[in-house]
Amino acid sequence: MTRRTVEIPLARGAEMGMDARPAMGPLAPVDVAEPDIGSEQMLINIGPQHPATHGVLRLICELDGETVVSVTPHIGYLHSSFEKLGEYRTYNQIVPLTDRMDYLAPLIYNCAYAMAVEKLMGIEVTERCKVVRIICLELDRIFSHLLWLGTTAIDVGAFTPFLYAFQERERIYQLHEELTGARITTSATRIGGMMSDLPPGWAEGVRGFIDTFPRTLNEIDSLLTTNAIHQGRTIDIGAIGPEDAVDCGLTGPNLRASGVDYDVRKDRPYYDYETYDFEVPVGENGDCYDRYLVRMEEMRQSVAILHQALDRLPDGPINVEDPRISLPSKTDCMSDMESMIHHFKLIMDGINAPAEDCYFAVEGSKGELGMYLVGDGGPKPVRWRIRPPSFVNLSAIAKLAEGHLVADLIMINASLDIVLGEIDR
Amino acid sequence: MTRPHRRGKQASATVDALRAAFPGAVVRDLVQSGDQHVVYIDPEHNTEVLDWLRTDPGERFNLLVDVTAVDYGDGRPLEVVYQLWSIPHRKALRVKCELPLSRLAIASVTALWSAADWLEREVYDLFGIEFRGHPDLRRILMPENYAEGHPLRKDFPLRGRFSRAEQTRRALSQDMEQYYMPEEMEGRGAPQIVPAEESPTSTPGSTGR
Amino acid sequence: MGLSEKPAERLPVASAPGGVFGAGTPTLLTTRLDFVVNWARRNSLWPMPFGTACCAIEMMAAAASNFDLARFGMERMSFSPRQADVLICAGRVPYKLAPVLRRIWDQMPQPKWAVSMGACASSGGVFDVYSMVQGIDTIIPVDVYVPGCPPRPEGLIYGLMMIQEKIRQERLSEHGTLRAEDPAEVARARADADEVLALSGPFGNSTRQNRVSGPTGSDASDRPDDRIP
Repeated sequence: MTRRTVEIPLARGAEMGMDARPAMGPLAPVDVAEPDIGSEQMLINIGPQHPATHGVLRLICELDGETVVSVTPHIGYLHSSFEKLGEYRTYNQIVPLTDRMDYLAPLIYNCAYAMAVEKLMGIEVTERCKVVRIICLELDRIFSHLLWLGTTAIDVGAFTPFLYAFQERERIYQLHEELTGARITTSATRIGGMMSDLPPGWAEGVRGFIDTFPRTLNEIDSLLTTNAIHQGRTIDIGAIGPEDAVDCGLTGPNLRASGVDYDVRKDRPYYDYETYDFEVPVGENGDCYDRYLVRMEEMRQSVAILHQALDRLPDGPINVEDPRISLPSKTDCMSDMESMIHHFKLIMDGINAPAEDCYFAVEGSKGELGMYLVGDGGPKPVRWRIRPPSFVNLSAIAKLAEGHLVADLIMINASLDIVLGEIDR
Repeated sequence: MTRPHRRGKQASATVDALRAAFPGAVVRDLVQSGDQHVVYIDPEHNTEVLDWLRTDPGERFNLLVDVTAVDYGDGRPLEVVYQLWSIPHRKALRVKCELPLSRLAIASVTALWSAADWLEREVYDLFGIEFRGHPDLRRILMPENYAEGHPLRKDFPLRGRFSRAEQTRRALSQDMEQYYMPEEMEGRGAPQIVPAEESPTSTPGSTGR
Repeated sequence: MGLSEKPAERLPVASAPGGVFGAGTPTLLTTRLDFVVNWARRNSLWPMPFGTACCAIEMMAAAASNFDLARFGMERMSFSPRQADVLICAGRVPYKLAPVLRRIWDQMPQPKWAVSMGACASSGGVFDVYSMVQGIDTIIPVDVYVPGCPPRPEGLIYGLMMIQEKIRQERLSEHGTLRAEDPAEVARARADADEVLALSGPFGNSTRQNRVSGPTGSDASDRPDDRIP
């Protein structure tokens, strides 16, 4: 496959000038100048409400024929002021905000936030909690990549993968619901542990999912990976080299597709990720097709991690046994005065964090998801900053789309895997 | 089960090298949350220090992870925070610059990392910090015609300064057809930023507490 | 559902001026015609999915195979407002997006209905903040509110069936008044200033939002400096 270049013959004719024109017959009107059609550029507005922008993104494109000369993305159409609202909430009250930010992978955001607060407070969670959170993180990596897969397939004209992917997503919805009671807005974590222990049979449910999910993944794989239309729409489209990708701040699958081996799970391991046996897929060309391949392989690796995590899921308490952090059991509250006081203090005052700051990053489904927290010694943060992976990834779209066709712009936008809730926050 | 943070200084080769290279520019350094190194540098020299950190073969902080700011309220200086990560050496560093409220301006690092483009625009939008030399400094999240100030300042009330009716009226009076191309921006010059003392955002009594 | 179904019982109405069959009480012909028109309308609704946030994902789930919105005649999601019948506003609507929502509503041809899906679209939800519209009913008229954060697909389907029920009870003779639109109202907020204030005042938990722990509230009475009108 070669990069598509679009030439505009009329513009070329004007460039060459009168003398370079081929000789014409005597009847040809030689004194009429060539109309300079090629220099006229067109402005096209896509969005903010458009099915192909994956949310309320607005792209203003300057076109030369069908070729994109420049793209100006406009964001902020979903700015919900999470960071400001976080300053008005206690540390545990922020958890429900996190899953409304990235509704494609809510558990990853729940876990990342709780881990950042625990790092700030110096809390070490229990072994069981670590493994449960790894299950949550990897399950939602699949959850998010599946939505990306389905919607991206629609953008290149394939509808079947969308239905297949949503079938599998419905099964993860079921698991979410069993674990937390909600399909998307999970709010599963608490500072120092989880909302509750795993419900009976949940681990078996996850195992049932990962046993059969690879078959569907292979089916989707066979529909897309060698499909000539899909390859034609993705290979050599929106390519970015490794130096440029790092310079633009790309992270996650977008960076690894360009051949840079940077994965937070490997480079800054948390929760004993270094003891799990998995590989980080790395691409070569950094085009849409490589980004597709990297994500497909990541789903397989997540399945491998889930198998290992389920095998080693230890027994024991899920929350830390510190009355200043974890709520006492309801029975204790009703019978024990001290527990009741702790319960009251935790609910009414919250947990105090030291007056320090802390940056904690996990490998989210879209890239490096960082949480930067500044405490002031009280129960509410001075500043809660989310390092948004798809915000930074999207900022590279102008560079990626330049010189491609409008149809490729849609594909490039889809291949970056953006979620506007997190970009605009 | 909580462990107290290890207080006191932990040696960091990066911080020592930075102090040696820029004896005047490093204000102080801290260790936060156990093992995270924070360096406060002089805002006048942020581009030189960050460029050195980016290119020095021993450091190579080539990934600009994040640019943000922190407002502590009560008239304390705003902090601009750079989170750096070195992919070759696998180490992190947090660099901070303190800006007094009377002079909220700092040099842009877009020339060092393209990633800084949108991140600095966001800080400008939400905190009102001017990044000198930024190619395209304008609001990114809030509408272009937003007139209530910079929302993440501590003196900005959670629900905004205007009444909901006024906010609705202003929202619907936005020009939907407006678009923007970089060429048009060139004639507009540097964005006008009202200094903090004179701005309506710092009315006494509305500290947001 | 077939053509043989009996039209709904209704009381005779006084003459409604201006309608298609405006003068006089309903006759067998007009009630039968009502029924046929409403039957056709309610079983071929084309939704305009105005999806912004989490609710949009549930809307997609409702359209996907497990819940299959197509069973109710909503096979075709119409991404062009010019061909749509129902606006499904799924998700948060910030002020920056409000004129877009209003324009899409103005672009939809009559007859049209609006569903406000989820807590944020209906009331602002948890986001009682500077950037968020406190309920899209300040911007456009809403027919059905679907509660939930986000509502399950079943909830959305139930809300759309309520729209169908609403259509079933409509009369052609009323369409002239029911569907009247004043061109001067285009791109204006549906609610006037007083109504916006009444609809979007702090309520519930959001009256106690403050930066530090303690009894300090952030109501207008507690913190008069908060707002410069």
